[in-house]
Amino acid sequence: MQQRAGLPIAAYLGVLVALALAAAFVATLAIVIFLPPRPPDVVRADKAAEHFEEGYDHMTALGRPMSERGVVWEVRQQPPEDEGSHGLDRTQHELAQSLALEPDQVVASAAHIKMDDSFVFRVAEVEGLASVISPDQIARISEEVAQAYEEAADRAQEARERAQEAAEARREAEIAAAEDRLADAEDRLHAEHERLQELSEMRAEAAQARAEALREAQIEAAEARAELLAERQARAAERLAARIERRVRVENGEVIITQIPDEHADVEVNVDPPEIEIPSFEFAVPTPPAAPRAPARADPAAPTAPVHAPRAARTATAPPAPGAPAAPPMYAPAPVGVLLISGFEFGAQLPDGRWLVMRQGRNWAEIGWILRAAGIIGGTLLVLSVLALLFARRLTQPIRSFADAVQAVGVNPQSEPVREEGPEELRGAARAVNTMQARLRALIADRTKTLAAVAHDMRTPLMRLRLSAEHAPPEQREKMAREIAEVEALVASFIAFARDDPAEEARLRLDLTALLQSIADDNIEAGRNVAYECEERFVITGQSLGLKRLFTNLVENALKYGTAARISSRREESTIIIDVADDGPGIPLDQREKVFEPFVRLNEEGTRGAGLGLAAARSIARAHGGDIAILDGENGALLRVTLPG
Amino acid sequence: MLAMTDSVQPPRVLICDDDAAIRQGLVEVFERAGFTAHSAGDVAAMERQLAATGADLIVLDLMMPGEDGLSACKRLSGKGRPPIIMLSALGDDADRIVGLEIGADDYLAKPCNPRELVARARAVLRRGRDTDAAASDALRFAGFRLDIARRELHDPDGVVIPLSAGEFRLLRAFVERPQRVLSREQLLDYAFDNDSDVFDRAVDVQVSRLRKKLERRGSPEIIRTVRGEGYLFAVKPTA
Repeated sequence: MQQRAGLPIAAYLGVLVALALAAAFVATLAIVIFLPPRPPDVVRADKAAEHFEEGYDHMTALGRPMSERGVVWEVRQQPPEDEGSHGLDRTQHELAQSLALEPDQVVASAAHIKMDDSFVFRVAEVEGLASVISPDQIARISEEVAQAYEEAADRAQEARERAQEAAEARREAEIAAAEDRLADAEDRLHAEHERLQELSEMRAEAAQARAEALREAQIEAAEARAELLAERQARAAERLAARIERRVRVENGEVIITQIPDEHADVEVNVDPPEIEIPSFEFAVPTPPAAPRAPARADPAAPTAPVHAPRAARTATAPPAPGAPAAPPMYAPAPVGVLLISGFEFGAQLPDGRWLVMRQGRNWAEIGWILRAAGIIGGTLLVLSVLALLFARRLTQPIRSFADAVQAVGVNPQSEPVREEGPEELRGAARAVNTMQARLRALIADRTKTLAAVAHDMRTPLMRLRLSAEHAPPEQREKMAREIAEVEALVASFIAFARDDPAEEARLRLDLTALLQSIADDNIEAGRNVAYECEERFVITGQSLGLKRLFTNLVENALKYGTAARISSRREESTIIIDVADDGPGIPLDQREKVFEPFVRLNEEGTRGAGLGLAAARSIARAHGGDIAILDGENGALLRVTLPG
Repeated sequence: MLAMTDSVQPPRVLICDDDAAIRQGLVEVFERAGFTAHSAGDVAAMERQLAATGADLIVLDLMMPGEDGLSACKRLSGKGRPPIIMLSALGDDADRIVGLEIGADDYLAKPCNPRELVARARAVLRRGRDTDAAASDALRFAGFRLDIARRELHDPDGVVIPLSAGEFRLLRAFVERPQRVLSREQLLDYAFDNDSDVFDRAVDVQVSRLRKKLERRGSPEIIRTVRGEGYLFAVKPTA
């Protein structure tokens, strides 16, 4: 016997639970890894304002608000609450202008505002900046800026002076040269007259010319040098100025110091030059192209952004807005110069004093996100349920084969022992069943032996009697033979009932009509009044000896109480019905179930047999999936056997 | 009764039973029927007797002290042993089938009619003389199979066709003597007990029933009527 060990069922269940937990963990992990953060529903402020205008026109023209997906239109008595999103001040102002309303008749607010490549959020507390830049540092920076400016101006002045000096030097040199040439001409004129002194003068002239050339070259060199120096100094001054200018922008009387942008965040500090005072700070967080959590799929023209007509509405950078609570940064890329908003609410007072409000509706991008998350969870669940199914099959397969094996043992104790395999609990059960089967087999062997001994011990004396009867006179012999046959029949029925085991005989396809016919024929041959007539051939699966015993018992029973038995058979749908009718007294209604009990005989006096025939017949019929019932016949009892066809 | 002794030696029957009274009674019955009868109390004695005098037929009890009848029958079969009739206290169909399957030529349950035993003994002896076919479990013909032990006919589709006792004996007589015209008297002799009062007409009835059970669409007639003479089993049995 092959033994396959298995874990206890509890272990399998534990693994199953662990599997479920693992699936939940994997689903969560997958959502975290593969799904971007839930995208905000971002729209362009200008388009939203434009759409609101349309809605306002629609309302004033038709008297009812527009109905559409994405935004919610409603008319109410109270204006929408302006949550202090002053970032939309300009939008609100423009909206009021184009609707020809007073500024306080229009409200535009948004939960999130994004401007100039960056989402803006406000720091209400100055102390919040202390860790970034201290006022001292700002003062120092301002001083440095001023110094640098002064220095640059000085340097430039100096350079300009140098250049001027160089120009003057050149002019002086030119004047000197002209004077020299004049003197030279006078000298030459003088030399016409004074040829004597010509040689010496010529010599002097040569010397003079040489000196002159030398001086001229010197002047030019000095000039060039001065120019070069001045130029270089000027360039240096310009560079310095430019560098400082890169760091310092003077704007509207404010100096803005920009740190060298190799740091992550630019810090714009609004400084009033005279005294350093910080009314508010704005952190401009640039949207870096490789921002770690920047989702590429967040469409700036989100589904709700109503786009009807392009309008070049460029909104300027919002003025500093103190007091607003810090809004979360949002990471949608935005076109330059366009304000992007989400969670917005636009309201304008209608001529009748009520307010028309346009509110952002359901975030459809979020719905998509939820659907995808649900898809991940559903997929994981599907995989898990397939796994669980396989697992459950694996777990229950040994139980099912165990059930089959036990069934087989129950039907036939001689069958193979149950295989001890599968989970531990099941192996214990299989062992118990095998022990039981072994004892059952021993019992059956005992019973068979006992029955054989009983048969031997009872029939041997009968045989002796039968042989002795041969010596008796013929009529006495016949009587003895009858008595002996009766006792024999009794013994036979006891033994047959005691050993009755419907499962022992093989089931074969057999011709039921021929079987009934052969029973009738055997009885006819023995001179009894039994009739059977059937043209149709019924072939069923069954035990030929068992069925033969069944119908023989019924016929014998019929002949016991009556004088004739009539067998008939017919098919009704999938059932074959065999009636055995007799001409006896019939069986009273209240006895009809009782007669199937062993050792029950209807009229005690005068009947032969042990009262086992019907009990055995019914057990055989039931083993074939059929039954026996007692009905009223034409003249006597009618025993109806039903068998599956 | 003594007709047989005129031409041949009286048949020798060997009775083996552990019960002395039965043994004695049977010897008397057989001797009265014209047999030469010996008896033995157990299997060992039977074998000694067999070696000493020989036997044409053995009547063997099944349950005996020492070696039982079944194992003796099994051991004896296959080496030119005389035919065996089993006489047993176990009378169930299943027991009868076991006995026949193990090689017994006939099986009778105790208590039996002594004259039936003699009649069967005659039938067995006659069968042994008339046929060369060794007693086998089954006879086959035209796709049918006749199970001797179970007295069942299996048709070509494997469906069991139960036969009445008379039909079985008749069919067996036909199959064992194929392609031979058998008169009604012969059939009566082979297939029915000598003392049962059946008539020629009964043979015709049995034959017609048998034909009905054997008839299959499109197959040739198996039992043919020979006008004025009797019947002919028209197909040749296969091994």
